[in-house]
Amino acid sequence: MGLGDIPVLVEAGGLTGSAPAVLREIVALLERLTQFGEAGSIDLHGLPLSPADRRWLLDQLGKGEVEIALQAGGGSRFIETAVPGVWWVAHDNEQGVRISEFIEVTRIPDLIPAHPDDVANGLKILKSRLPDLS
Amino acid sequence: MSEKSGLLIDSLERQGVSRRTFLKYCATLASLMALPPAAGRAFAEALAKATRPSVIWLSFQECTGCTESLTRSYTPTLESLIFDSISLDYHHTLQAAAGTAAEAAREAAMKLNWGKYLLVVDGSVPMKDGGVYSTIAGISNHDMLMDTVKGAAAVIAVGTCAAFGGLPKAQPNPTGAVAISDLVKDKPVVNISGCPPIPVVMTGVLAHFLAFGALPELDKLGRPLAFYGETIHDRCYRRPFYDQGKFAKTFDDEGARQGWCLFELGCKGPVTYNSCATVKWNDGTSFPIESGHGCLGCSEPDFWDAGGFYRALSLPANPLHVAATAVELGAVVGVGVALANRARKSAARAGHESATLADLEK
Repeated sequence: MGLGDIPVLVEAGGLTGSAPAVLREIVALLERLTQFGEAGSIDLHGLPLSPADRRWLLDQLGKGEVEIALQAGGGSRFIETAVPGVWWVAHDNEQGVRISEFIEVTRIPDLIPAHPDDVANGLKILKSRLPDLS
Repeated sequence: MSEKSGLLIDSLERQGVSRRTFLKYCATLASLMALPPAAGRAFAEALAKATRPSVIWLSFQECTGCTESLTRSYTPTLESLIFDSISLDYHHTLQAAAGTAAEAAREAAMKLNWGKYLLVVDGSVPMKDGGVYSTIAGISNHDMLMDTVKGAAAVIAVGTCAAFGGLPKAQPNPTGAVAISDLVKDKPVVNISGCPPIPVVMTGVLAHFLAFGALPELDKLGRPLAFYGETIHDRCYRRPFYDQGKFAKTFDDEGARQGWCLFELGCKGPVTYNSCATVKWNDGTSFPIESGHGCLGCSEPDFWDAGGFYRALSLPANPLHVAATAVELGAVVGVGVALANRARKSAARAGHESATLADLEK
């Protein structure tokens, strides 16, 4: 029997008024990104958003063209919303449990580009596989 | 031990932990510690450059539940990233060495890392009768603590026994148990209370110390504010029922089935500061209230002597009907309950029979 089978009901609750505040923060972060090139993010974990708030926020942002799946210590999804530069980022652990969630306002999320040290390491490894290059 | 030292990121790489996994872990940890999201990156950079710290772990009057919680949580854990990366130079429950060899390891680690090692303590310290009630290698807990703390950078008191005295200090406190902070006055002491404490709280404090060289902000009881800043009640998913005045009266009534508030069944959530309701337990599965049982208040001082796990704290405040009459009624009910409790206590005392060891073996 899973937790879902235990008949404990939680009233869903409607809009709490938090979601428009988050949307305003996204606008402010986007302005900073366009004017100064500075990236920003909002940590959704600590925000008291009801399921209705989240749905409202997702509806307002829409779904864009890019969706990136990452496998590093569990799955992560980076979904660009219909507002370019605004990403919905969700990290799961290796058991598939959600461990953190952010809205990132950036051209490309931090975790995606390869780190220069890792690229250099990769080059070294590849060269070692071709003895005439090393 | 010393030869294992090096940069944290190198140690993680040797274990096959990728940079992205590490960055993701740091972003999550920063989120759990309520640091600004941008701090996740700074956290990761600082943590990657940190050297592996030497940790000396002393276990005194305790049940080993804290060590179990921290080392045997789900596998593999994010916490294990940090735990595998410290140089645990002495932990008499986990180490293979025993007796003289074990004590020699503690002394060697102290000498080698003087002024820099972290001292983790679980369990309280018995002070009665010269501390004879708990000794290790013939050394009393008090003497070992005071000797080992001299060269420590900071002390982390893990679990309610170390933080506040816990179960050994419960009335009548036969061993004269005291908390670590009662004895250590000249070093920073962080209390990570809970019976047991939540594993990520421990790693959060360790990671903060490694990354920023300082302990995180603490509350008035010496606990990290990021994890003990709000009560269980503040973040409880059953809170709307409390606000509506819907309470389960027994563990199997209709209210309990509907998931109503457990306040009247003795839940100590309103006076207990911890993050069980948000971080949860067992791989984020649930926390006690989600399993249908009230909070015992295990991260608060003297929770064993707080008047009974199934006795309600007081009359709940009803936000819709707070009136003078309700306050008066509360006072009357309070006096009535106090009289009934006193009568019950007298009857119990009168009916009490001493049990001998022979009785228990019958």
